[in-house]
Amino acid sequence: MTSALLWIILPAFLGIALLLYPRQDSFPLFAAAGVCIFLSWAAWRLPIDVVLQLGPFSVEIAPAFIMFGRSFTLAEAQAPLLAFIYLMEALWILGAHLARPGRLFIPLSLICVGLLVAALAVEPFLYAALIIAMAAMLLVPLLTPAGAGGAGVLRFLKFQILAVPFVLFTGWILSGVEASPGDLNLVLRGALLLALGFAFLLALFPFHSWLPLLAKESHPYVFGFLAFFLPNIGLIFGLGFFDRYGWLRTSEFAYPLLLFAGGLTVLLGGLWAAGEPHPARMLGYACMACTGFGLQALGLGSAQVFFALLLPQAFAVWGWATSLSMLSMVNGPGMQTEDLRAKASFRPLAGIVWLVAMFSLAGLPLLGSFPGRLALLDGAAAVSSWAAAGGLIGSLGLLAGGARFLHATLAGSQAKRPHWVEEVEPAPTSKKSIDASNPYVWAFAVVTLLSLLGFGLLPHVFLAAVPGLAAMFSQLSP
Amino acid sequence: MGSGPSAYLVLGLLVITSLALLVSREWRWVLAAFGLQYLLAFLMIIPSWPVDLAVVKLVAGWMATAILGLTLLNLPEEPRESEARFPRSPAFLGLVAGVVTVMVSGAAPALANWSRQFSVTQAWAGLFLMGIGVMQVGLGSGVFRNIMGLLILLSGFEIIYAGVEISILVAGLLAILNLGLALIGSYLMQAPTAEPRH
Repeated sequence: MTSALLWIILPAFLGIALLLYPRQDSFPLFAAAGVCIFLSWAAWRLPIDVVLQLGPFSVEIAPAFIMFGRSFTLAEAQAPLLAFIYLMEALWILGAHLARPGRLFIPLSLICVGLLVAALAVEPFLYAALIIAMAAMLLVPLLTPAGAGGAGVLRFLKFQILAVPFVLFTGWILSGVEASPGDLNLVLRGALLLALGFAFLLALFPFHSWLPLLAKESHPYVFGFLAFFLPNIGLIFGLGFFDRYGWLRTSEFAYPLLLFAGGLTVLLGGLWAAGEPHPARMLGYACMACTGFGLQALGLGSAQVFFALLLPQAFAVWGWATSLSMLSMVNGPGMQTEDLRAKASFRPLAGIVWLVAMFSLAGLPLLGSFPGRLALLDGAAAVSSWAAAGGLIGSLGLLAGGARFLHATLAGSQAKRPHWVEEVEPAPTSKKSIDASNPYVWAFAVVTLLSLLGFGLLPHVFLAAVPGLAAMFSQLSP
Repeated sequence: MGSGPSAYLVLGLLVITSLALLVSREWRWVLAAFGLQYLLAFLMIIPSWPVDLAVVKLVAGWMATAILGLTLLNLPEEPRESEARFPRSPAFLGLVAGVVTVMVSGAAPALANWSRQFSVTQAWAGLFLMGIGVMQVGLGSGVFRNIMGLLILLSGFEIIYAGVEISILVAGLLAILNLGLALIGSYLMQAPTAEPRH
């Protein structure tokens, strides 16, 4: 058995099988979640490339899978990342029970995660750009269910496809750079192509415009899944570049450029989030800012800081997307600021999780992202005060946006909307606090709140996996 | 083919089909030019790749054309394009093609000279298609035009990349990407509100 068979082909085939499953019951949810939890456990506990004795049988998970002369390699070093990816996929699948993103979500998200793992495993690793583009295309039917799509999905598709030629051409030029590292022209060309490729792939300014558009057009849960997985797999792909190419690590411009680009992305994402009245669009800007923070971690050359940011971000985005989906189902699809109080009063647990997730992504002290954010800003301030200032102002922008929504949720009923008539919109008392009687909602709220508080209050426990995750990039971790 | 007269003939035909794709408003003519363009791109790839591998691109391209054609054939009304963003007059589009030509005529010889892995005609064809593809994507106001632009862009990229990398896996992945794009285009064209809102 090969690792690719277990962590790429099995989930992809299960996804295809679930696409063909005819009945609309809970079987796909439990089957997919069960398999993802098993795959996460297997990555955590089963050694790769070691023969295991199971009674009379011996089993070995070989790291490499050869296909058409190229290899898909998942070695022991990648096991913590696989465990994390499949744990998160299990959470996204379980959360679909509450968020109701449509029956295609479970099978397509499984295939998508299988493809993203394939992107991290493929050798030469530059082919990952092609596989990431395929994963992005796979999500389009989820983003435009029943023909409800718009400009955002088309722009998203365009930018993801445009990234492919740039990244693949970069690989070609980099092979030339390795042969003659002193050729400055070649280095600059390679760096320019690389920068453009990643700007498209990661939705960096000015190629970020699909994020808020898509956030408003599509289901918040599907958007959250996309906005978490695609840019972060792209960033891990970017870490691979820096881990492999010594000339990039030693060049004078690469790290400052990343710090600047990351700082600018955080700054703009944060400022736009501060003025954004739509909570789903604000999630888009928050994810943009998170990508900027990841880029800054890359600019510090520290895989540890990157993963310290990634783990709480994963739970916060999941919590935000799930709770927002739950809120959007109350009292019609309207998600403007003035609708929030009514929605949150019917689903108080969802409202609390949403606010905590929002403040966690903003980097509020004692919440999830704070320890990683503090380490990042501390490191950035020592190298580039401009980048640190951009990160700080962006965080403050996210906090301001969160505070605005908090105010709208707590005090929204006192400010009457234009044309507001009390008799026309009576509170449906029969649906009041529908969260309280649903154990599934309680489980979701407890898991999200405990994890977000845990990352903030007990980072040495909750972030204990970070050194293991960072170890896969030997040149970027101490 | 290399850089002989036949290569220049194929290049000339590629330029003509690209202009037809850019200027024509009738989707049947556009798809006919698109199918012909895949054949010409295949001829451009042959000097770099074995024929049996290059055929993958031709078949994938024609399948993509067929998918788009069948979708358009079954649509209740023909795809409309908005005039709001950019002019659609042949003069403007000819000017756009002229800009691409000027840029490519400067870049292609230098690229071929620098890389030495593909000929000037291949560099010309690849860059020209990429330029026209980017212009289609930038100027296109509907799903059909945008998907066509992305497919033309990938087609141009594949001509150049074929000279750089000979890999069955890459050929397969690019073929899947082409077919996937056509399928997504088909899905979005059938979605009633998938046209960009301005």
